[in-house]
Amino acid sequence: MVRIKERYLLVNIVYPPDPSKPAESSLPSHVVHHQPTTDKLTYQSLLKAIKTEVALLFGDYGSGSLDASLSIKYLSLATSTFIIRCPRAHYRMLWAALTFLHHVPIAHGSGRPCIFRVVRVSGTMRKAEEEAIRRAKRLIIAAQEEASCATSTLTDAHVLQEPLPTDITDESSDESMGEGDG
Amino acid sequence: MLYDLNIAWSPSTTKDQLLQTLALASTLGYGTVALNHALNQPPQGNATAPFPDLSSTTTTSTSSKKLPHILHRATIPLSDPAASNYRLPALARTYDIIAVRPLTPDAFQNACITLDVPLISLDLTQHFPFHFRPKPCMAAVARGVRFEICYAQCLAADARGRATFISNTANLIRATRGRGIVISSEARGVLALRAPADVVNLLSVWGLGNEKGMESLGPVPRSVVVNEGIKRNGFRGVIDIVKPAEPGPGDLQPSKQAEGSGQDSKKNKKQKRKNGDEENQPGNKRQHKKMKVVTREPGPTKA
Repeated sequence: MVRIKERYLLVNIVYPPDPSKPAESSLPSHVVHHQPTTDKLTYQSLLKAIKTEVALLFGDYGSGSLDASLSIKYLSLATSTFIIRCPRAHYRMLWAALTFLHHVPIAHGSGRPCIFRVVRVSGTMRKAEEEAIRRAKRLIIAAQEEASCATSTLTDAHVLQEPLPTDITDESSDESMGEGDG
Repeated sequence: MLYDLNIAWSPSTTKDQLLQTLALASTLGYGTVALNHALNQPPQGNATAPFPDLSSTTTTSTSSKKLPHILHRATIPLSDPAASNYRLPALARTYDIIAVRPLTPDAFQNACITLDVPLISLDLTQHFPFHFRPKPCMAAVARGVRFEICYAQCLAADARGRATFISNTANLIRATRGRGIVISSEARGVLALRAPADVVNLLSVWGLGNEKGMESLGPVPRSVVVNEGIKRNGFRGVIDIVKPAEPGPGDLQPSKQAEGSGQDSKKNKKQKRKNGDEENQPGNKRQHKKMKVVTREPGPTKA
């Protein structure tokens, strides 16, 4: 009965194009935006950067409520995706801290500029993983489509279109999940 | 359809940077964006909108980047309410949306209560010499004026700026009860953009509930865009002409009359924005009846 409820955030790392390269590159924009990440990004460096950001934005309260129970459950450099677990009551704080990050957190020096985008909030790890697989498939299909109709003006991102981009909380996996979570 | 009504643009922005920002906005899920030209002072004479023409790039590039629908907007700082009101109509002709940035209490009061400007935008990282009181703010929202919160101002600010931003945002949300708020980025570069879900969450941390947050990204900016479009392209209740009435066969006088009433509204101008409904308002029955009688055909469209 006394069960610790968690939230699993599925996060993408989105890269803006490198300003030194010309804008008219031949890669479809989906590929550029979702490129693989350098292998200098490790579980530890990512976790440390997130904890630092939480401490910076939310102070001692933030660190106290999140530090002990934050963990990165899955990190994929190829797809620039990771799943991070946190207590249910404070997931919005963590989410806000992720929004404020703007560089890839590597151990020494400063990584590439990037954007962290939370694409799924789920109550179970399983649903988060399933969503990760689904998105990877859709991304491949969308990138192929974009590359193949490069000369026509008929690109539509309908494959990658989600029902409502702001509605990413997964309601099904946790029966008591709702707005009163805090 | 999600809107980002403030992508900062200045004459020094290169076309490459702009294209990158727009491509990323499209990937993140924004359907329509507005390029915001921040004017330092009201321009002298007739300014032409200096925005670069982006339509040529999409057709000639080898990798077809899907760009969002682009609108043009200007933001005017306002400190003395008496000074520049007569410039606004001239500006309104060149830009699709006008926003005002009041700097003094009088200007804020003026913008809320009298000015015919749809958006009040503020640099929320600064301390304001005035408070956000519910009375003028709610009056503005009832009138149709919307307040704009630009999240990139907070992302880029230092600790002091962030604290001021959060405090101002919380006050603004409290004064307007969360209604009539438009969220946009004021992104100076690609890095300041964030996905809509992230933005909604950020606002919920700062005090604007989830529902209102989603409204502020979709329906509320849409209402601003559509209303501005109607102000510019509509005439006396006619929003858009679907098809001008055909004159009856071999009737000189009726065709003259039909033309006369058809030319009243600026038809056939390419609509740059979505119009939710293309119906004539019921007050336009007389025009309907005239065209009906004259052409001896069923009148155009519906009741």
